[in-house]
Amino acid sequence: MRIDSLQQLSTWLDDAGIGLLELRGPGVLLRLGRDAADAAAVGERGAAVPHQERGAQSRGVAVNAPSAGVFLHSHPMQSSPLAPVGTQVRAGAPIGLLQIGALLLPVCAPRAAVVTGLRVPHGTVVGYGTPLVDLDPD
Amino acid sequence: MIEILSASALATVQDLGRLGALRWGVGTSGAMDPLALAAGNLLLGNDVDAAAVEVPVFPFQVRFTEDGAFALTGADCAARLDDVPLLPWWVGEARAGQVLTLGLPRAGAWRASRAYLCLPGGIDVPAVLGSRSTQLRGDFGGHEGRTLRQGDVLRAGAAESGAPVGGFGLVPPALVLPLQVDGVPAMRVLPAAEYAHYTEASRAAFWAGEWKITSQSDRYGYRLAGTPLEAGANVEMRSHGIVPGVIQVPPGGQPIVQMRDAQPSGGYPKLGTVIEADLWRLGQAPIGSRVRFIETTWDEAISALDQMQAWLANVQRLVALYRRQQARS
Amino acid sequence: MSTHEPTISVLGTSALLFEAPGHAMTLPDQQRIWALAQEAGRWPEVREAVPGMNNLMLSFARAPLALADLRARLLAAWDAAQPLPLEGRVIELPVVYGGEGGPHLADVVAHTGLSIDQIVEIHSAPAYPVYALGSHPGYCYLGGMDARIATPRRKVPVLSIPGGAVSIGGAQTGVSASAGPSGWNTIGSTAMRFFDPTREPPALLQPGDTLRFRVQKVIR
Repeated sequence: MRIDSLQQLSTWLDDAGIGLLELRGPGVLLRLGRDAADAAAVGERGAAVPHQERGAQSRGVAVNAPSAGVFLHSHPMQSSPLAPVGTQVRAGAPIGLLQIGALLLPVCAPRAAVVTGLRVPHGTVVGYGTPLVDLDPD
Repeated sequence: MIEILSASALATVQDLGRLGALRWGVGTSGAMDPLALAAGNLLLGNDVDAAAVEVPVFPFQVRFTEDGAFALTGADCAARLDDVPLLPWWVGEARAGQVLTLGLPRAGAWRASRAYLCLPGGIDVPAVLGSRSTQLRGDFGGHEGRTLRQGDVLRAGAAESGAPVGGFGLVPPALVLPLQVDGVPAMRVLPAAEYAHYTEASRAAFWAGEWKITSQSDRYGYRLAGTPLEAGANVEMRSHGIVPGVIQVPPGGQPIVQMRDAQPSGGYPKLGTVIEADLWRLGQAPIGSRVRFIETTWDEAISALDQMQAWLANVQRLVALYRRQQARS
Repeated sequence: MSTHEPTISVLGTSALLFEAPGHAMTLPDQQRIWALAQEAGRWPEVREAVPGMNNLMLSFARAPLALADLRARLLAAWDAAQPLPLEGRVIELPVVYGGEGGPHLADVVAHTGLSIDQIVEIHSAPAYPVYALGSHPGYCYLGGMDARIATPRRKVPVLSIPGGAVSIGGAQTGVSASAGPSGWNTIGSTAMRFFDPTREPPALLQPGDTLRFRVQKVIR
């Protein structure tokens, strides 16, 4: 990871009020944190899901957080969730939002699918790679 | 590039206003919600002051005649690109031939009445006296000095801004900087020169009351309905400069708040002025809704201005970071 | 408002309003306002110094933290202000008084007790100095109207009067430069182009010019 990316990430975490970020990659584990005490508590929710883990159905796809942030089921201006369980969604459609400070990033369906599960409650702070939504692709 | 499909939508091209022409009797015009306009521009990587389309009447439709990015801020108007629903306060991509439809503003977490459609590089119309805002009285600026009509074609000022795939958006300032009194949207007001001329009962009624925005409200001014306000003496005043936000009280006792297209001078007694930092809140308050006024001080008003500018600066920084990051990946 | 001291007030955080003492609209005071505008227009917090009728609005480029300091500076500048004797051109406008172009002439008659002919004679007699521009693009605020024909602004402003409308509002008179709402009493009409946004400067008249109304016709 490059130094300028680290600085960028630190800025983002600060702005979002996130205390800990955990990133996993092949042979790499990176933890960026402000307080060491946070590490244990976040370990469970923030860990990336290994690719070989799947939901009960072998066809099911988990959409993971593309970034650290606060996962939202609905847009802050609206009350109805973007993609409740059972919804048919198009490829590329936003099925949730990641709030990072003032920004809202889309969590998009990789392909047309039916939403079969929402893994974390609305308003949860998540780390990069956290599984957020289960989809059953068409 | 977009083609206007709607008729009679009262939509106009606006930027942040025409400054420095008061000496010729030219008011500022500009967006009724400058924060929404600025934010839409920032989402596209435009200068904050780039021109955009202000949409006050819905439904409103345009057709994209070329591929390009666009941003939509202001009221949540259940926007669709063809039949695909769009998120509010969002930047996305359109393909040539696609139709953007803005529906009636939804109630939601924030009740707003105007939407802003921004294009890469801003709407490309000539600047007149330093601004691209529409000066309706006098017929200049914006698009041919008038409201937009069916068939009008507006060009984008830049070829392409490259919105990240899937787009992204912002949490609107109304949710981040809320201001309400007893559940009613509120604006801070600084008393004006004739404040003390009003009876004590009238002054108390002004602060305590809920003021309905009547249907005779528009970009020139908002006519409010509520307890009639009485001046102690009816003073015929010398014409003097005024600014958007000035609250005048004509003899009928029903206040009028001068808005963006108001005359830059007048002679009616003034009760107070909505502070610059809260003009966007009033500019978005829908007809038929009620508002409250909060008495404030100079220091508090300056602080509110700082807070608003800090929100904008923060958005500018985060959006630039994100756009740069997405461009690299 | 004190009749001896100027009044300084704020228009939100957008501008400051300075009013010369009293209720009158004298030319010497207006000339001092012009001088004050020239001085204050150079201050860093001021975007524009905009004269009105014996008053001055300072629109802020940046609202100052220390308002008291600005007030003090403005009062000192007023004390020091020497009348700026601007002198421009004399422009004559032919006016059709009354009729469709002067729908409120009857209201001025009712308020003043004067006849139409008297009102027309009194209105068209003076040379009116242009005190300031304001209200709408190219509109001139004129000084020097005879107090005998002063008529209060209308209780209910008219939604639209055309460009060229010659009106009386309180103790002032003026000519509309374009169609728009007005709370003044329209007594006649004239044809004149007051504003062209493509010109430099865009307004055809400026403070220091003088306007005369010539009676073209009186419709009773």
